[in-house]
Amino acid sequence: MNSNLQQVNHFFNKKRFRLSLILVILGLAYAGASFGLGFQTHSLLNIQDGIAWLIQNFIPNEASQGYWQEISQQLFRTFLVAVAATTCAAIGALFLAIIGAKTLTAAITVSWVIRGFSSLLRNIPIVAWAMILLFSFKQNDLTGFLALFFMTLGFLTRAFMETIEDFGTEKIQALQATGATYLQVIFQGLLPEIAVALMSWILYMIENNVRDATLVGLLTGTGIGFIFNLYFKSLRYGAAGLVVLSVIILVVTVELISNLIGRLLS
Amino acid sequence: MLTVNHLAKSYDGEKMSLTDVSFSVQPGEVTVIIGPSGAGKTTILRSINQLIRDDEGEILFDQVDMRQLNRAQLRRARSHIGMIFQSYNLIEPLTAIENVLHGCLGTKSNFAGIFSIYNTREKEEALKLLQKVGLEEFAYQQCRNLSGGQKQRVGIARALMQHPKIILCDEPIASLDPKSTITVMDILKDLAVNEGISVLINLHQVDIARKYADHVIGINNGQVVFDDRTPALSDTAVTGIYRKDAHSEGSLVHEF
Ligand SMILES: Nc1ncnc2c1ncn2[C@@H]1O[C@H](COP(=O)(O)OP(=O)(O)O)[C@@H](O)[C@H]1O
Ligand SMILES: [Mg+2]
Repeated sequence: MNSNLQQVNHFFNKKRFRLSLILVILGLAYAGASFGLGFQTHSLLNIQDGIAWLIQNFIPNEASQGYWQEISQQLFRTFLVAVAATTCAAIGALFLAIIGAKTLTAAITVSWVIRGFSSLLRNIPIVAWAMILLFSFKQNDLTGFLALFFMTLGFLTRAFMETIEDFGTEKIQALQATGATYLQVIFQGLLPEIAVALMSWILYMIENNVRDATLVGLLTGTGIGFIFNLYFKSLRYGAAGLVVLSVIILVVTVELISNLIGRLLS
Repeated sequence: MLTVNHLAKSYDGEKMSLTDVSFSVQPGEVTVIIGPSGAGKTTILRSINQLIRDDEGEILFDQVDMRQLNRAQLRRARSHIGMIFQSYNLIEPLTAIENVLHGCLGTKSNFAGIFSIYNTREKEEALKLLQKVGLEEFAYQQCRNLSGGQKQRVGIARALMQHPKIILCDEPIASLDPKSTITVMDILKDLAVNEGISVLINLHQVDIARKYADHVIGINNGQVVFDDRTPALSDTAVTGIYRKDAHSEGSLVHEF
């Protein structure tokens, strides 16, 4: 009895010690990083001045209203690039995930190769993808499309693979037991079960890619990112603010729509 | 119908999950396998339709060894072996009738199976089977909205859609309430008596085994420790089957 009490106290002391240690390490990391960068924590206290400047200059004014048409055109193009890249990547990712999921794969080496490949694709930052692709595809929509496509392919392959693996093998085996073929099991069993999960990953990725497409457009000189850059560099801050505002509206709209679709599906 | 000879299986190459299991199953009988958890009941059932490979011994189904079949032959053999599970293993977002129709995938072309192209005879039969298990009004309900007992009956209808010679049942009533337990067991018994199907059931409820079994096989620690056709399953026999060290005491087969 007494030794039980000791054990439970020991257990909780150990947990508490570990938590304190983590906090100390985080504190040291912040202090070290600030020192290394010459970053002065007290300058955070003047943050309101910076924000005030931003508000004064970036609030769209009457002059910037004339830009609406150009902005909405470019916004639509950017949106289309994001949607196209995501849906194409989703099809490829589903294929790779089915071949590579540990519960379905024919050989575990195939699984590792696909895992490595998708990890490589998604761990190259989107900006790096865009810059690399610029060399071969120059400044046009295709470059942005490809950059988003590769990153999304990597991300969704991994997400789909985990969805499939979580699904387990029991139901797959139940269909195999009826004499169903591999493809019949995939289409009659796996896909109906995971369809909702796949759809919500795809919607999440579309939201993400609408945002990222703006950034990529800055580099590839296309879409909404390009006109933001243009207005900004020509000191038309009001118009640039309008671009930011329109991107926010688009992203929020996409999010609302995807929530709605998600609710309809489940 | 089904004869298992000297079946052995180890998952990790070290510990034997089954050692030298032999028994046979007759048409028209309910055969119950009882034994403590971890004894190897599931392993036996899944070896029969070769969901578990790399086993040893002989599994004669209609005089053919399941272990020697190539992929196409195994598919055909499986299409005659129904299976139901503790966790039902239905495709939950699909409707009851779609799940029942999965029972004929084994006889369909890849294409027809993938795109759910079923003919009128198959659809009529699926509806008839749902009626047989008392679920005709749930035909177009998603299975995720059914109760446990209803799901298990859809599972049985799916198995029957295969025109099975044998139905393997892995703890079919372990997640069910007493009333559904009786419904499900009555259906299974009826299939054996009136349709001549062999029904092989893993259980751990001794009272259910007593009530429904024509043939009881006791498994302990990967070995057959009891095998009898007499209806009464005595308390001594039960204690023997569930005894911790039953395997080291020598076999209890035919001792009663
Ligand atoms: N997939 C598996 N991998 C490794 N060992 C397993 C696996 N399945 C079952 N076993 C082992 O095989 C033995 C028999 O298990 P099982 O057939 O599931 O028993 P039962 O169905 O009678 O409870 C147990 O010791 C279990 O740990
Ligand atoms: Mg089991």
